[in-house]
Amino acid sequence: VQAGISGIGTLVSLGGCKLDKIAIKGDKITIGAAATLAAIGEERGLAFLHAAIESVGSPTLRNLATIGGNLFTEQPYGDIAVCLLALDAAATVATKRGVKKVPVAEILKKGIARDAIVTAISFEKPEKGAWFYRKAMRRAANSASIVTIAALLPQSKGRIAKPRIALGGCGAKPVLAVKAAAALEGQKIDRDAIGKAGALLLEDAEPFTDAYASAWYRARVLPVHFRRAILGE
Amino acid sequence: MPSTIVTLKVNGRAQEFLTRPGTTLLDALRESLNLTAAKKGCAQGTCGTCTVLLDGKPVFACLVPVETVAERSIETLEGLATGDTLHPLQESFVELFATQCGFCSSGMIMAAKGLLARNPNPSRADVVRAISGNVCRCTGYEAIIDAVMAAAVKMKKSAPVRKKAAE
Repeated sequence: VQAGISGIGTLVSLGGCKLDKIAIKGDKITIGAAATLAAIGEERGLAFLHAAIESVGSPTLRNLATIGGNLFTEQPYGDIAVCLLALDAAATVATKRGVKKVPVAEILKKGIARDAIVTAISFEKPEKGAWFYRKAMRRAANSASIVTIAALLPQSKGRIAKPRIALGGCGAKPVLAVKAAAALEGQKIDRDAIGKAGALLLEDAEPFTDAYASAWYRARVLPVHFRRAILGE
Repeated sequence: MPSTIVTLKVNGRAQEFLTRPGTTLLDALRESLNLTAAKKGCAQGTCGTCTVLLDGKPVFACLVPVETVAERSIETLEGLATGDTLHPLQESFVELFATQCGFCSSGMIMAAKGLLARNPNPSRADVVRAISGNVCRCTGYEAIIDAVMAAAVKMKKSAPVRKKAAE
């Protein structure tokens, strides 16, 4: 469209379909697929996501960029999709045949049918102190990801319970670091446990080479940024 | 699909033109309305030279199919000056040498206008953040940031005067 190539048969815009509502009911959050990243960045109830929002593009871009669109972006873009994977979010997918909820993890793996649209994204707000995010970039703002780390580390009696770690810059789509998460189960958040889990990240990650960084570099810095993300270093 | 008539409010004036499906807001402004201040640099939302305000918020005009913003309000650099009197942002860009080749200036100024509308007292970091989607290959940005900061001061000083005049 931007290139002005002629021959476009039909262009469908979902912009006017009122799919941009953000609803927060207690811990249950539902965000319309067409909600802009700027709108999410202004929503006080979603403060935990603001660092991630700020790390995507520029404020000008975020006035147009939507959460639904971010879900279908190829890495090293799509940092919000990395967050949604860590949050175990579900997408509401609508077709003529009906509406169903599909895990974001499944959409990232398989995509959606050609005649389907994502109308909303829903997830539970992490408990206080359970959310961690870090994106390594070439510049302080408006840059693609070298590696992105989003981690949900809920704790019960000081021990990590049911952690989820998602990575960007480690495959064409965001990936779950299953082995590293398993290593954190039942552990305390400390340097030792995080170091051991960080060493397992590459078991599930396939860092790639592009104009921003080489696969080698991504693999080297991934555990470092993971440690910094969790320990706030 | 046939061409359609699209209506936009551009710089306060209603504009109507015929457009082919999929035409970007940027092409519509430049080709149909002869408003060429918004530039086509990268045409993929990376360089910021096409920044205009859509309902007061900065957007990249190259990423917006014009039919999707029908009836809405667009501001371009052409709408800033009042006759021969430059807008404080334009004035500061001239005074503080914030323009060299000029290709980025219209986008920079519109991104800055969007910022100052929301935040009349920006910090330097706020300005950096606001223009982080606008690429300048000449100035090194510092002069541009200086100019936006200076314009913010000017606009604050002139704001009460304007209010009085309105009364």
